[in-house]
Amino acid sequence: MKKNKMLIICFILPCLITLLIMYLYPVGRTVLMSFFSIESVTAGMSDWSFNGFGNYAKIFNSPAFKTSMWNMLRIWLVGGVFTLSLALLFAVILTSGIRFKKFFRAAIYLPNVISAVALATMWIQYVFNNDYGMLNKMLKMVGLEGVKWLGTDMKFWAMLFAFIFGAVGYYMLIFISGIERIPADLYEAATIDGANKVQQFLKITMPLLKGITKTNVTFWSVHTTTFFLWSKMFSPVDTEATTIVPVVYLYDTVFGGKGVTTRDAGAGAAVGVVLALIIIVIYFIMNKLLKDDDLEF
Amino acid sequence: MSKKKKVRFGEPVNWRKELSLLPGYIIVTVWIIFTAAFLFWILAASFSTSREIFSGNVFKFESGFHLENYVSAWQAQNVSVFFANSLLYAVVACVGVILISAPGAYVLSRFEFFGNKVIKSGLIVAMSIPAVMIIMPIFALTTQWNLKGRILLIMLYIFLNVPYTTTYLLNFFATLSRTYEEAAAIDGCPPAKTFWIIMLPLVQPALVTVTIFNFLGVWNEFFMALIFASSAEMTPVGVGLLQIVNSMKYTGNYGGLFAAVIIVFLPTFLLYIFLSEKIISGVTGGGIKG
Repeated sequence: MKKNKMLIICFILPCLITLLIMYLYPVGRTVLMSFFSIESVTAGMSDWSFNGFGNYAKIFNSPAFKTSMWNMLRIWLVGGVFTLSLALLFAVILTSGIRFKKFFRAAIYLPNVISAVALATMWIQYVFNNDYGMLNKMLKMVGLEGVKWLGTDMKFWAMLFAFIFGAVGYYMLIFISGIERIPADLYEAATIDGANKVQQFLKITMPLLKGITKTNVTFWSVHTTTFFLWSKMFSPVDTEATTIVPVVYLYDTVFGGKGVTTRDAGAGAAVGVVLALIIIVIYFIMNKLLKDDDLEF
Repeated sequence: MSKKKKVRFGEPVNWRKELSLLPGYIIVTVWIIFTAAFLFWILAASFSTSREIFSGNVFKFESGFHLENYVSAWQAQNVSVFFANSLLYAVVACVGVILISAPGAYVLSRFEFFGNKVIKSGLIVAMSIPAVMIIMPIFALTTQWNLKGRILLIMLYIFLNVPYTTTYLLNFFATLSRTYEEAAAIDGCPPAKTFWIIMLPLVQPALVTVTIFNFLGVWNEFFMALIFASSAEMTPVGVGLLQIVNSMKYTGNYGGLFAAVIIVFLPTFLLYIFLSEKIISGVTGGGIKG
């Protein structure tokens, strides 16, 4: 037994140190930082001065932060509806017994494995391009005027569109795994009773996918809360009001950016805490909802 | 699923059934044609001159294949450095993570000890902590300890992937029979040696899957690299590509840009071509990585 004790300590120690240095200490310090007024992120604790809820008051009064929260909400709602509907549609199609299912599934999931920076560059430099872009060419083919996709008016929607395209495959896989868990005899019985495909979808698939849908909504919410890369790619040099999201706001506040006169690590920490709280609330709500109706099948 | 499929392929084509599935075929095919069209266009553009790209004639290759786009991207635009860095980060981090996670997962799944449950739930909580909650203190800490250069990003990528990897491997160690260790103990093999020689090879399939995900994760990582890659020689591909895009205004070398995009895109794409089944079953099977 003594030998085992040594083994356990030696084997678990690296894991434990990782948890402490990489997670516990930083989270604790970030929470603490959000209550202090700190200019530079590297400032030692002796340079901090207590600020109470001042940082929170500051960010919630900042127009840029409010815009970023509004953008995040739009991404969550509009993007969520489209992404999850498309994902469900593809999942239903792919499980309906069509040929080449594995190929289709792999192709739709593909954007999730390639570098998102490369993917975003493809969209920005090609699909949305004004002169030779794919979308404007297609519009001209049917006789319509080209649109300035990356102009201020359309940029947000262009970004969201590209993001949805990449995200669908992931949620589709989760839906597929949910649909494949539904026993086939339910559908056979329904077919014998004369229910058509649409009725089967509405009366069997949808209700039995409730749990999986909640999982997907949770993932989507966390995904949008930490939304950063696409916003950065669509406004790479100067942050713009059309594409700003909270994490970009945090990045600019802490590490500097256009329109940021003084860096404020305390306010950045407050943004981080707000986002973490949003995620905790989402998990809490979804857990509560899930417990209420656990279907057994 | 596989059984059903075999039966279906044995049958002659049931045209009525295929017809009822037609709308489904059309929707999925349109989506995939769109994906393929723009990937092929990017590939064609990477062999074209900037003028051909702007006039919209990338598929004609009137002036031949411009392989020099790749040369200029690789050398002048520094892609070789970014590429080597990403490869180094991904490979070293994948090995490092396993060295930390596998022993941890093993003792967590095998032995009852003080703090076992706390560490397990700590790992799960750690997986859902957003990066914005940890970057600032880590930035301060690494500056204070004067940690910089490639070793800094390698360490970060190792630590960042430990919670997911450990949790993933934990379930696999739990399925192994205890008789392996008992037999080894009777033969006089010390427990640590038993782990490295007998138990670790037994979870090889799980190690492979989790390493694929870690590799993809590190290769595609952007946020940490943007904050911590302070100099050009430690920049990985994601941030490097962003820098190339930003400098486009001055260079105007569109062929080179698309060549760089293809170079960054290719490694994970090739990996996916060969391992798509394993990756897809890994996404929904053994735990999900966000």
